[in-house]
Amino acid sequence: MSDADRPDDQPNGPATTTRRRALMIGAGAGAAVLSIRPALAQTAGSVLACEIPVPDPGRAGSFIAPDGSTVPAGTQGAFAPPGRAFKGEEVKRALAGSQLPGTSMESNRAYVNYIRRLQRGQGGFTCFASLQMPRA
Amino acid sequence: MIYRAPPADALLAEPIDAFTAVYHRPSGQTHLLVEPAPEILDALGRDGLTLAKLRAALAERYDLTEADDLAERLEELVAAGLVSAA
Repeated sequence: MSDADRPDDQPNGPATTTRRRALMIGAGAGAAVLSIRPALAQTAGSVLACEIPVPDPGRAGSFIAPDGSTVPAGTQGAFAPPGRAFKGEEVKRALAGSQLPGTSMESNRAYVNYIRRLQRGQGGFTCFASLQMPRA
Repeated sequence: MIYRAPPADALLAEPIDAFTAVYHRPSGQTHLLVEPAPEILDALGRDGLTLAKLRAALAERYDLTEADDLAERLEELVAAGLVSAA
């Protein structure tokens, strides 16, 4: 059996330089990240009326540390729960820089940090996620 | 400031034409990314990088255009919750 001619497509010398592709960092026509709104956000009324409990019912009785984590009740430096859920509209304003109703500057910061840490499955998460969606 | 991407198992990424659809498991949110966002996430990894080191890492892999806008692109990823800044 004779050796078939093999196409000599592999260089025997030093490896050829890989040419890098261009990467455009500038925004071009728009942002590089487009977040998809959950359906709840399509009705402005439902977003503003939705509620975010602090903490969620699964952690009822826990205090809120300044960084937003939940800690055992009575933990020094942490804040007792506000005693009521916040409305989407109230949280939206707080995220923009104003204060949640009935809070001090410190407890406001703690509650807002708690809300920012909400994960899927926790009470109030869908409401919070809806508030974050940028307007089209 | 160190910028970090989520753990690999926190994201599901799928290319869709010019976009990369990314599902972020912890938040349950979906985002559509275009260049250079996926490349930035890939370069950051879990260990994270400063802005300067990210620029250097990207410059090593790619020929960068308008590199001064890198901070702005990073902020978009932070605002979307896909990159943490600490």
